[in-house]
Amino acid sequence: MTPVKPRIAITVGDPAGIGPEIAGKAAGDPRVREACEPVLYGPAGDRVFAPGVLSAEAGRAAYEAICAAVRDAQAGLVGGIATAPVNKLAFARAGMPWKGHTDLLAHLTDSALVAMMFWSDPLKVILLSVHVPLSDVPRLMTRERTDAVIDLAARELPRFGLARPRLALAGLNPHAGEEGLIGDEERRVLRPAVDAARARGVAIEGPFPADTIFGRAARGEFDVVIACYHDQGLIPVKLLAFGHAVNVTLGLPIVRTSVDHGTAFDIAGQGIADPSSLVQATLLAARLAARAD
Amino acid sequence: MSSLPIIGLMLGDPTGIGPEISAKVLASGAPAGVARVVVVGDARVLELGMRDARTAVSYRVYRRVDEVAWPSDAVPVVDLANVDPARLTRGAVSDEAGRVCGETLEHMIRLALGGALDGICFAPLNKGALHRGGWQYPDEHQMFAKLTAHEGFFGEMNVIPEFATFRVTSHVALREAVNMITPERIEKALRLAHATLRAMGCDPPRIGVAALNPHCGENGLFGDEEIRIIAPTLDRLRAEGVGAVGPLSSDTIFLRAKRGEFDGVVMMYHDQGQIATKLLGFNKGVTVTAGLKTVFTTPAHGTAFDIVGQGKADPGGLEYALRLAARLAAARVV
Repeated sequence: MTPVKPRIAITVGDPAGIGPEIAGKAAGDPRVREACEPVLYGPAGDRVFAPGVLSAEAGRAAYEAICAAVRDAQAGLVGGIATAPVNKLAFARAGMPWKGHTDLLAHLTDSALVAMMFWSDPLKVILLSVHVPLSDVPRLMTRERTDAVIDLAARELPRFGLARPRLALAGLNPHAGEEGLIGDEERRVLRPAVDAARARGVAIEGPFPADTIFGRAARGEFDVVIACYHDQGLIPVKLLAFGHAVNVTLGLPIVRTSVDHGTAFDIAGQGIADPSSLVQATLLAARLAARAD
Repeated sequence: MSSLPIIGLMLGDPTGIGPEISAKVLASGAPAGVARVVVVGDARVLELGMRDARTAVSYRVYRRVDEVAWPSDAVPVVDLANVDPARLTRGAVSDEAGRVCGETLEHMIRLALGGALDGICFAPLNKGALHRGGWQYPDEHQMFAKLTAHEGFFGEMNVIPEFATFRVTSHVALREAVNMITPERIEKALRLAHATLRAMGCDPPRIGVAALNPHCGENGLFGDEEIRIIAPTLDRLRAEGVGAVGPLSSDTIFLRAKRGEFDGVVMMYHDQGQIATKLLGFNKGVTVTAGLKTVFTTPAHGTAFDIVGQGKADPGGLEYALRLAARLAAARVV
């Protein structure tokens, strides 16, 4: 008996960037075709977008493709979505308030709580905060958000084959606050959140100094690290798995994965863009879709 | 041969792995081609390190550095006879060990200021022990600045074989760090990077400056310090001959530095650079106090109380710290 391959939507992202190119390459990749039946979502072929040129039209076209893919995923016509990069400025120029896929998808699916995760072989990281100024991060580290993301991780990660994930929480401040000497968010928010989560039965430790916890996780001490802010998580992910990490959204009712890079307007239209990250994203979506069935 | 810099090696906190890794480095003879190494401390601590390391170091005791007959086949040891390690509990913070570490370093700084040592390399210290032993400074860099009566800018530099990092802010809460991103602090860090990298032989130094916000602020969408503060400061300094590339997204700047594009990276906050250098540095990370009259280097790792006395401590960081001290000191020795 041949198992039915899941259908995976690949959205082309901003059509002025490298998205259409890598989407085409990924859809043709033998590994992808082995794992799933890829379906491309993007503007009609007769519409022309100048490579590397920022425009509201391109932003809107990217948006419409995502909406179509989400509708089909919710209707069960595709088992998951892998997304090529959108351009946040093109979204803004088209008058759309979303800073990227994650908040747009949360809006389209009425999801109250989502979190961005980066998935790679050496390191898996979930972000407590994402595309905000660093100066906003300390006040976003609330007990409510921390508790919610820890529970989301514990609930969702079994779908990824981590039946009982060993979680680590990174500290916000240097040396994880050094017992309150350098900032108090660890003592006030993060440590109580870890203690409470452990009392609820979640396998989590921390908060740990951010400059050593990612190395410890990469050496196998933990399955997933929860990072307080974007660069705290992305510096180690990019150093250890550049071009191979997959961005996954936790908390959506549909499977959604994405690349770990941007629209690369500087090389758009040249045929030289590397599809590795989108290939990995599509393969992970196929794996998750198969499990969801 | 005699033109090699004289580097004083301090054995670190005797309750930790410092004596062991010191004995391993001295036994290997590794630094012989780049420095004349003289141990300053207690010969009994070196003996302890030899036992920890299961190795033998041929050494000869002197009272003063200027009595050493160079070249010396045996490692010269200036024996201060100031601590009996048999009285200390290994693998635990000791007030006495901290007090003696501070005294030994103070003694070495006097030697360096007097011209007897060209640089100081020390095995890991324990900050808590130093504090409890009466050396109450926020960190060792400020202690060295005070003891060398330094005026002007100085700072911590973190070095791995691929690149070095310099700090605009360091041991402060993240919520304070973001408010300390000022043109003055950026300028100090960048000028320190220029001067130090040039002394290390990078001329002109290739320096990248990290952004503060994710995606470099994405043109002001997620924070405007790049547009308002960092970029204008770099433009002004570039016009004054202090060049640097940036601001660059912090999730890619370290990749570019790792690939050899930069000799140094100026980072805005502690974990930005420390995550990268600790992940890449493995056993090779070195911490330097940059900008002082005297060269100070130490391995980036700590006293590793959990593996004391087991003979398995990796001496790679200390060896690299000795080499770096020699390189920085050689740039100053005529």
